[in-house]
Amino acid sequence: MRVIVGGVAYPDLCDYSIGLEVQERLSGRDAPANVVVEDLSYNPIAVIQRLDDEPPDDRFGRAVFVSAVKHGDRPAGTVSCFVWDGVLPSDEEVQRAITEAVTGIIRLDNTLVIAKYFRALPDQVVVVEVEPETHEFGAAMSPAVADQVDRICDLVWSFATDDDAVDALPVGSLEVFTAPAFRFG
Amino acid sequence: MCFKNLPVEFDSDGKPFLRNGVGDPYATATATAPEGPRQLTAEKIEDLLKRNGHIKSLDFDPVTRVAGALAFHTVADFENRKVLEARSVATLFRGYEVIMVGRDPRDAIYITSRACGVCGGVHSTCSALAIEMAIGCCPPPMGVLIRNLALALEFLYDHPLHLHLLAGPDYSQVIVEPTNPSLYERAKVTEAHHTEIHGYRTIADLMTDMNPLTGKLYVEALHMTRVAREAYVLICGKYPHPQTIVPGGMSSTINLTVMNEMFVRLSQFFDYSKKLALIWDDITDFFYEANPEYKKVGARRANMIDTGIFDHPDAYDTKYENANVWGNRRWATPGAIVEGKLVTTDLQTINIGLEEFVEHSFYEEWTGDGQQQHFGTDPSGNPLSPYHPWNKVTRPRPQGTNWKEKYTWDTTPRWDRQSMEAGAYARLWNTAVAQKMPESPFLESTGHSLKMRVPAGALPETQLEWHVPDVWNAFERNRGRAYCMAFTTLIAFEQWRAAMELLKDGDSRTSTKFEIPKRGTQQGVGFWGAGRGYLTHHLTLDRGAVANYQIVTPSTWNASPTDRWGQPGPYEEAVLNTPLLEETSDPAKFRGLDVLRAIRSFDPCMPCTTHIQSEVGLITREVNTCACGLDD
Repeated sequence: MRVIVGGVAYPDLCDYSIGLEVQERLSGRDAPANVVVEDLSYNPIAVIQRLDDEPPDDRFGRAVFVSAVKHGDRPAGTVSCFVWDGVLPSDEEVQRAITEAVTGIIRLDNTLVIAKYFRALPDQVVVVEVEPETHEFGAAMSPAVADQVDRICDLVWSFATDDDAVDALPVGSLEVFTAPAFRFG
Repeated sequence: MCFKNLPVEFDSDGKPFLRNGVGDPYATATATAPEGPRQLTAEKIEDLLKRNGHIKSLDFDPVTRVAGALAFHTVADFENRKVLEARSVATLFRGYEVIMVGRDPRDAIYITSRACGVCGGVHSTCSALAIEMAIGCCPPPMGVLIRNLALALEFLYDHPLHLHLLAGPDYSQVIVEPTNPSLYERAKVTEAHHTEIHGYRTIADLMTDMNPLTGKLYVEALHMTRVAREAYVLICGKYPHPQTIVPGGMSSTINLTVMNEMFVRLSQFFDYSKKLALIWDDITDFFYEANPEYKKVGARRANMIDTGIFDHPDAYDTKYENANVWGNRRWATPGAIVEGKLVTTDLQTINIGLEEFVEHSFYEEWTGDGQQQHFGTDPSGNPLSPYHPWNKVTRPRPQGTNWKEKYTWDTTPRWDRQSMEAGAYARLWNTAVAQKMPESPFLESTGHSLKMRVPAGALPETQLEWHVPDVWNAFERNRGRAYCMAFTTLIAFEQWRAAMELLKDGDSRTSTKFEIPKRGTQQGVGFWGAGRGYLTHHLTLDRGAVANYQIVTPSTWNASPTDRWGQPGPYEEAVLNTPLLEETSDPAKFRGLDVLRAIRSFDPCMPCTTHIQSEVGLITREVNTCACGLDD
C-alpha cells in the first residue's frame, strides 16, 4: 500500500510549525519505496488536486497528517494520534472550510474536511496532533513541544511504515470550528 | 476643477496649488461636509429601537463567504423593509505598517505579500514599484510585460473564486428557492438569453449549477483556480506568495517553453470568460425583470477610485514626476469617478486627493498636538494633506466598540473627502470612458463601453461589450467583475504576444540591477491594483531603511467606517440603501440575504484571522494570511 506523510503547518510560527519540522526531518530518512513524505502546507484545494493527480490504479492507501492543533484543555506538547473516522460536518461547515481554503488559510481540519468531501483522501487517514503553546513569529519552539519532536517523528514514521502500529490506534473525530454567522439582538 | 472639497485648485497648466487665503487649509472641523447620505445618529437609533417593536438590530458576525474577518451591524425596520443603520466592523489588527518600519525595503516585497492569502503578488508588486520609484530603477521591457502577465493571472484566480464560490451562491437555487419562492418559480419558466454560450436553458438551471459544493459552476471555478495558479507559478515560482518579484522587474527565466506552457493555460480562459460574462448578464437581467426593486440592492452613488494597472513598457519609467504620463498609458486606466463622472485619470491628482482618517477607528490621531507635518508637498511640489499616507503614522489603540466613537480596525480613506469604492469594475469603468488604453485588436474603449473580442476556443470568437451601467448596485458589481474576466484575459494575452515578440528579438532580460541608497531620504509610491481594485503602498526611506510604510487596499476603502462628517463607508451606504426583499414577514425566518448580497458584491477581503468577541464567547482563528481589507 502506498502511504503519503504530510506536514500541515506555517513556517516560522514557533510551535505551529511542528508539521513542517517533522516533515523536513522525515524527508531526510531513507523511506521505503511505498512511502512519500511531503509538505502539504498549502491551499487544501491544491492538496486535493495534488492527490487526484496520482494514477487511478495506484493511489495512496493511507495518509498520515501531522500538525499542531490547539485544544487548550491539555498540556503543551501532548501528542494525540488517531485514525480519523471520516465523519464530515454540515455542508455549511464544508463551505466555510472551502472559503477559508481559497482565501489562504491553512489548517489541518480544513484540509481533511475538504479532501474528504471531494473524495481525494486515501481510505485510511491517520492524524497526529500536537498541542502547541507558543503562537508567535519565530523558529524557536516551546520546550514542551521541542522535547517531543524526536518522539513525534518516530511515531509518524511508524504509522507510515508499520500496519500494526496503525491498527493499534483508536478511531477519533475532528473538532471542527463552528462560528455563529447571524443573530438578532 | 476636479476637487470639490479639498482646498486645491489648478493653474492654467494644470498644476495644483493650495487655494489662497485659507489659514488652515486641511482643517477638518471647519471643512464643508461633502454632500451625500448620512447615518442616523446613535441616539436616534437607540430611540427608534426602544419605541418600535418592528425595528430590530441584526448582526452578521462574522460575515461568511468573504475573505477574512468582517462583522456587520445593522438596525432594520421590518415593517417598512429597510435598513436604518449600518456599521462595518473590521475585527482584527494586523500591524504590517508597524512591522515594516526600520527594515530593509526589499523585505517589504516578501512581508507585505503576507497581507493576503489570495493576492500576495499584488502586494509584492506594489512594494517593488514603490521601491523602484524611491531608488530610480526601471525594469527592462520584458520585466514589465512579465509582471503584467503574472498579475493578470492572479486576477484570473481571484475573479472566478469570488463569482462562483463567495458571491455566486447568493443567487443559487438552494438560497433563492427558500427565501424567494415566487422568484424561483419564475426562474423555472424563464429562458436564459445566452444558452448558446453557457449551455443553460432556463434561469433555474443556471441557479442550480450555482449551488455551493454540488453545482457545476462552483466546482468548475475551483478547477479554473488551478489553471490560473499553474500559469502563475511558471513566472512567480510560488502561489500566493511569489518569489521572483524584485525592484527593477522579475527574477524569472523566460523562454519559449515557459511561454508555451503559459499559453496552454491562458487559452483556457477564452471560453471560460465568455461564459462567465453572459451568465452574469442573464442573472442580472432576470432579477431586474422579475422585480425592479433588486436594482436597489447594494445601490450607492457611483463614486469609485482606481490607480490603474498593467504598465506599457514604452511608457513606464518609475518616476513620480512622470506618473500622469505612464499612468495614462496603462492597459487599465487610472481614475476617480464621482457621481458616475470620470473626473481625473492623473495618478498625481489621485494621489494628492487621498487622505486617511481614524475618527471611528482603533487608532490614535497623528496630527495636531504640535506635531510637524512630514511632507507639505509631494515630490512634484503638489500640495499634500497632513492626512495623506506619506504623512501618516500608524498608532494602534485597542479599545471597546462604540458606534458613537470607535468601532473598527479599518481606517477611513477618502478622496476629496468623499466616500469612494474600489473594485475590479472601477478599472473597467475608467478604461471604458477614458479612451486612453493602448491600441489592441481585442479591446476597444468607446467612451461609454468596453468592447472585447475574445478569441475562439471550443466556442467561436465572441464579441462582448460591457456598458457603463445606469444604476450602480450589487448586481452591477458582480456583472462588472464577470466582464473583468474577459478584460483581464485579453490583457494577459496582449502581454503574452508582446513578450513573444521580444523573445523573437532575443531580448529576454527581465530585471535591472539596483542598489539601495544608504544616504538621504527617498519617497516612493506603488500605484497598482489588486483583483479587488485600488492598491497603493506609500514608502519613505531614510538612510537605506524604511522610515514609513503605508498600505491602502480596496477593502480599506470599501469597509471603511462612517467618517467624521457622518458620511457612511461604501459597505455601509450600500446596505443602508438595500430593501429587504425576502418573502417572509416573520423576522425569525429572515436570513438577511439582500444585505449579504450587498456586502458580498464588493468582494470583501479582510484579514484571514478571525478574532471575534461574540455573544457566545471569544472565537479565535489562529492563522494569518490575508489582510486585504486591513493593512495597519
